[in-house]
Amino acid sequence: GVLSHLERLEARARALALRQEAAEQRQEQLARLKGRAQELRLRRDELRAKVELQQKRLLGNEGVATSGDADAAQPSDRAVLEWKMRNVQDLLQLFYLTGLSGKRTKHGVCFCISTAYEGTYLDSFYLDLVTKPQVQIRRHSVPVFIPLEELARKHLQTDIKRFLSVLSDHLNAYVGRRYQADQLQERFSGHLEGTLQRNSLCNVLVFKYNTSGQNEAFPFSARLLYGDPCRSLPTEAVVSCTSGAPAPLAEATAAHADAFRRLPLHRALEALGSPRRRPD
Amino acid sequence: MDETVAEYIRRTVLKIPRDEIKTMLQTWGFLSEAQLQTLNFHQTKDYVSQEVVQLCEDNSADIKQAAVLDIIYNHIYPNKRMWSVYQMNKSGEETEFFDLTDFKKKFKRRLQTALKNVTINFREYEDNAIWIRIAWGTPYKKPNQYKTSYVVYHSQTPYVFISASVIRSTLPLLCQALVVASNYHDIREMELRSHCLNSLKDIVFKRYSQTFQTYYPRPLQERNVTSENVDLRIIHENKNEKERILRVNREVFGDGPQPKLEFAQYKLETTFKSNPTLDVSDIKEPFRCLVKFSSPHLLESLKSLAPAGLADAPLSPLLTCIPQKARNYFKIRERKGFFPGSFVSP
Repeated sequence: GVLSHLERLEARARALALRQEAAEQRQEQLARLKGRAQELRLRRDELRAKVELQQKRLLGNEGVATSGDADAAQPSDRAVLEWKMRNVQDLLQLFYLTGLSGKRTKHGVCFCISTAYEGTYLDSFYLDLVTKPQVQIRRHSVPVFIPLEELARKHLQTDIKRFLSVLSDHLNAYVGRRYQADQLQERFSGHLEGTLQRNSLCNVLVFKYNTSGQNEAFPFSARLLYGDPCRSLPTEAVVSCTSGAPAPLAEATAAHADAFRRLPLHRALEALGSPRRRPD
Repeated sequence: MDETVAEYIRRTVLKIPRDEIKTMLQTWGFLSEAQLQTLNFHQTKDYVSQEVVQLCEDNSADIKQAAVLDIIYNHIYPNKRMWSVYQMNKSGEETEFFDLTDFKKKFKRRLQTALKNVTINFREYEDNAIWIRIAWGTPYKKPNQYKTSYVVYHSQTPYVFISASVIRSTLPLLCQALVVASNYHDIREMELRSHCLNSLKDIVFKRYSQTFQTYYPRPLQERNVTSENVDLRIIHENKNEKERILRVNREVFGDGPQPKLEFAQYKLETTFKSNPTLDVSDIKEPFRCLVKFSSPHLLESLKSLAPAGLADAPLSPLLTCIPQKARNYFKIRERKGFFPGSFVSP
């Protein structure tokens, strides 16, 4: 009847009210979230602007507009600067690779001699020179067993190019000899008895070795003398064999000595170790 | 085996820290691996040393072999001794080859002709260092193994590192033997002393990091830009000054670790300069004063003075010239600035 109709209307009204409330709540939440999103966007823009400013400061571009959008001219300026820097760095690297580079200092010049052997760049040595009143060495990082004072006495005042050239020869040769000895020790340790006996200049090397590479007997004994301090190959090579070794070994000593005189140490041992086919 | 040898071995083993005894005995190589297995290294050092002596007795050790153990100990712990640096001079060309056997022969011969009772041991190491141990005796007494001198010599260098024993009178003889054996003319003591042997080597062989002005692009140090507060409202006062101090410090000291010295001594022989208004009449005699800086690591502490704000940068050249001039004893005399003390001629 009427009452039940009224009841139904009431229920519908209530449901509507509930739905409206829910809708209102959702609207509120939406509005809140929109507001938050807006806040975050603003913050992000602020931070972006700060990062850009920082980057510009790093490149040294002061006094640039701090507004958020970068001018169209800026990126290309920066790109040009980077390209210039890379150019200069490559040029300096080139000078370094030639083995001798220098830089003016407030009291003279500082030279850098970089050494290499067989394409591997090794140590660099520095010479800090004063030019007034005379050319003198102020500081250096040349090892003490290279006769620096003697070379300076002979050439520094008269012909500085010659001085640098001779010094560079000494240093390159020393570094080359040391490199060969290190390579021999590292790569051919199976061929050597114990460690190589050497001295500071690496110009006297004494070692016992075999050609097989297995750690058994070491019948050969070698003594290499590098008489010329500017050369990295020995001037004298003496190879002997232990007494009681088979004849073919004893005969090979001359060939070994020859190999050591002609080839860098590690290549010589490589050549001697590889089995050679005999025509007979 | 001699009782003195036994006692010497026992005392040497007692010096070694317990964990190192086994490795050192292995390096020594006098006792076989089998014999070393029989030792129990977990006992107290007293027992271990006595067992080692017993084994040496079985192998009939003599004083020369015992001396080798002493060299090994001193090579691993060189910082227990005080080392002085000596420099040799020669006027000829340096084209002679260094022959190790020749050196040893000449050295021994020189010492033994002068002094019959002396124990000499040599040991070569891979870095071309030759270690020489000398125990001194007199014509009537056997060598005293507890008062030894140690010499470290790198071939083809003019520098010798000597840790002299208490018997100072043996020093001239030792110097003479070195000069003769290495084909030099004379030897003089440098004003450089320290406990740290490797640092002394670094200084004279110029192995420490020096800064040279060069164009070669070395890897730039990372500066932590990211952690800086980018808030533009915060300004660091004295930022430029701090950067200048760091830069000057780096130019003077370099980037790497400094050689380890324990002290620098400055002997002043200058007259006292006072404020003219003070009534101290000008004293003509020099004001004798000795200034000594000591530190567990002197050069590192000097390096940190300016950044810590305790001193102005750049530091006085008197302090910063130490590694370059290779000396830590200075005499400061009158006459325009400072005059590093004259070399002590032999």
